[in-house]
Amino acid sequence: MENLTLKKKGENAGLSDNTTHIKQTPGDIVFNVINYLFFGVFTLSCIFPFYYIFINTISDNELVKSGAITLIPRGITISNYIAMFKVNDLWNSVVVTVGRTLIGTCLMVFVSGLAGYLVTKEEMWHRKFWYRFLVITMYFNAGLIPWYLNMSMLGLTNNFMAYIIPGIVSPYNIILVKTYVESIPSEIEESAFMDGASYWTIFCKIIWPLSKPILATIAIFGAVGHWNSFQDSLILNSNSPELFTLQHRLYIYLNQSSNLGAIVASGTSSTDSAAIAGAMNTKIIQYTISMVTIIPILCVYPFLMKYFEKGLMLGAVKG
Amino acid sequence: MAAKSLSGTGEYVPKKREVVKTPAEKVSDILYWILRSAIVINVVALFFPSLNPARLSEGINKNLSLFSCGVSYDSIVVNLKRALKQEWVSEDAFALIFYASLIIIIAVIIIAASGCLSLGSHKMKKVGLAVTLGGGVIEAVGLAALFQAHSEIVETTVANKADKILLLNAEGVPDPDYLPPAFILFIVLISVIILLSIVNLFLVPRSMMGEGFSMEPKFQLFLMMLPVIALAFVFSYLPLYGWRYAFFDYKAGESLAGKEPTLNYFTMLFQNAATRRDIANVLKNTLAMSGLGIATSWVPMVFAIFLSEIRNSRFKRIVQTFTTIPNFISWVLVYAIAIAIFNTDGFINTLINSMGGSATENYLMSDSHMWLKMLAWGIWKGTGWSAIIYIAAISGIDQGLYEAATVDGAGRFAKMWYITIPELIPTFCVLLLMSIANILSNGMEQYLVFSNAMNREKIQVLDLYVYNLGIGSGLIPLSTVIGMVKSVISVILLFAANGVSKLIRGESIV
Repeated sequence: MENLTLKKKGENAGLSDNTTHIKQTPGDIVFNVINYLFFGVFTLSCIFPFYYIFINTISDNELVKSGAITLIPRGITISNYIAMFKVNDLWNSVVVTVGRTLIGTCLMVFVSGLAGYLVTKEEMWHRKFWYRFLVITMYFNAGLIPWYLNMSMLGLTNNFMAYIIPGIVSPYNIILVKTYVESIPSEIEESAFMDGASYWTIFCKIIWPLSKPILATIAIFGAVGHWNSFQDSLILNSNSPELFTLQHRLYIYLNQSSNLGAIVASGTSSTDSAAIAGAMNTKIIQYTISMVTIIPILCVYPFLMKYFEKGLMLGAVKG
Repeated sequence: MAAKSLSGTGEYVPKKREVVKTPAEKVSDILYWILRSAIVINVVALFFPSLNPARLSEGINKNLSLFSCGVSYDSIVVNLKRALKQEWVSEDAFALIFYASLIIIIAVIIIAASGCLSLGSHKMKKVGLAVTLGGGVIEAVGLAALFQAHSEIVETTVANKADKILLLNAEGVPDPDYLPPAFILFIVLISVIILLSIVNLFLVPRSMMGEGFSMEPKFQLFLMMLPVIALAFVFSYLPLYGWRYAFFDYKAGESLAGKEPTLNYFTMLFQNAATRRDIANVLKNTLAMSGLGIATSWVPMVFAIFLSEIRNSRFKRIVQTFTTIPNFISWVLVYAIAIAIFNTDGFINTLINSMGGSATENYLMSDSHMWLKMLAWGIWKGTGWSAIIYIAAISGIDQGLYEAATVDGAGRFAKMWYITIPELIPTFCVLLLMSIANILSNGMEQYLVFSNAMNREKIQVLDLYVYNLGIGSGLIPLSTVIGMVKSVISVILLFAANGVSKLIRGESIV
């Protein structure tokens, strides 16, 4: 609802803003109205579904079941979220997903930083060859099945490490860091070299701190990727429910059309599992888990918007 | 490339004095290459199930590498639970296999680390060789333990269960004297490593005064890079080795050993009527949906152009922020949203019902206009994000052009058509060429989450088909063949797109 009012304000301000510059023809006014209307509707279509799911999870369950909640929440309660905390399966997935996001992102950022620095060093043994060796991997892949067989040959099926190790080396991010490191004046590094600093010291003390903006950007992209990942859980860890990621768990719940309540209840530790099953129907459980999955992204998103944009722009000028 | 700008780097590296090498050093250099190759093979062999010397019983899984044997005892005996319970064979032997594998793994790690030292100064080389020798001895001990485990297995096996426990020899008969070829390979490798490190210890000259423990910068850098290279090799190049499954009649869990190569799965694509029909349908879906995506690839550009017409920066900011959110949620969540809005008890039906109607239609279960629906979801998810690049490009256009056009009496649309769009076309072309190169790879996640019993025919794209065939139905060779053909065509398309780009813009896109 807040968005609507914001939009209205923005619209008025925009029109009055324009009139101060040039006299608007009727054609301009029609154009502006249509333009604002289009973007208003499109923006609403992007934000309303989240709002709709959210009001359904915080409204009174009986009202939701009877289909009384459309635009305004009623009988506000957070009991659904509290009930979800008791579902062990879900907790498990949250732990796995948070774990892989933290560990996977940290390793990826460190390796991208180091490798991005190393590939700028002309004096490396066969630097060109090794750089190409990495970059080529972006443009071909062997296909899903050979990849799966390879992972199972390496023992990375039904294994938490399957989420971490393959993602450590990311050629695209290495290129981004390389481009950034090349823009750092080489004099800084040279003077350190003259003072007898090793490559490792130069990397830790100079390159890493100076590359923080790009490292932050790839960290955020990496973290979102880990949070959203679903295929590796589905394909590699399908026999280990304790390793399912949050997205995979959500996918399973979304595809359980009936008696989801009973399934969820069977995965709870507490004695009031029957109560949960009774109070929540499939719809409410699905909505609540969707919200649990989406809230972290929605919460961090506005603050990180500029990093996302920067990442996109860097991607556009890679070379 | 811009790397040239860092040319200063080369200047401050102290140049190493050219030293004339003695014949002994030359020989030692050659021997070093053999030694390093042996070490690399030794490391690689850890991960290949077909090169596993620890597979000393028919009961051990054929797809187990030495590395897996050494990290998990359970994986060794997973198929032997019954045999061990009934005491057909002594359990101690398998525990010994586990410990021996672990010792070999540790030894190989030591050898690999010491192999890296061989790139350093004479002093470093000497130390490295000593460590290699030590590691080699440890590995030899591990192999001896494996041999001991083998004889224990042979001795303790109950006679009438020999065919379940003892290894089958080349003729497929249980043979107590048979050792796996990988075992012989390891013995050869370890002999070479031990022998060469002893010989080199004598050949490498004594370190000069004050030479110390050092390494040339080029090798230092290479060794720091080596783990990255190794990971890239394992996860991006090694899967190519899996293409061999396309040439064998393979089912999950079997071994390729003893199977005849066949081209049946390639001819199957064309000769088997059912497969041909499936593939035609899948290709139709793939090309249709990619084609629709390409046909609407101008949408983000137009979105950006019209957004830039909005003067109110706060409204613009809000639009930009909220329309990019869908790009950062997964397809599973998009599906969750689709359920919330279009399901039987979703928003649309709830709204209709609250106004007195009685709607119960489940829009997700119908197969009408599937391609267009998928396109709409794609546009909803991607437009705001893809527009950012055009918005940035628009803000970079020289304002003087617009002012001049205004003076000349150009209207709003004329300015868009004659100034903005021509300025954006280069960016648009690059993205268009990339999407043409990716015409066969539209990913499987979107189509997997939206597929159900009703719309399966219309929604199955190539990536999803390969997944369903290979992972779902276990038809590994056929799905590998399809994946192979797809990969090759994709690479060709990419080169073609790159060639076109070079031709018309003089710049490559990859």
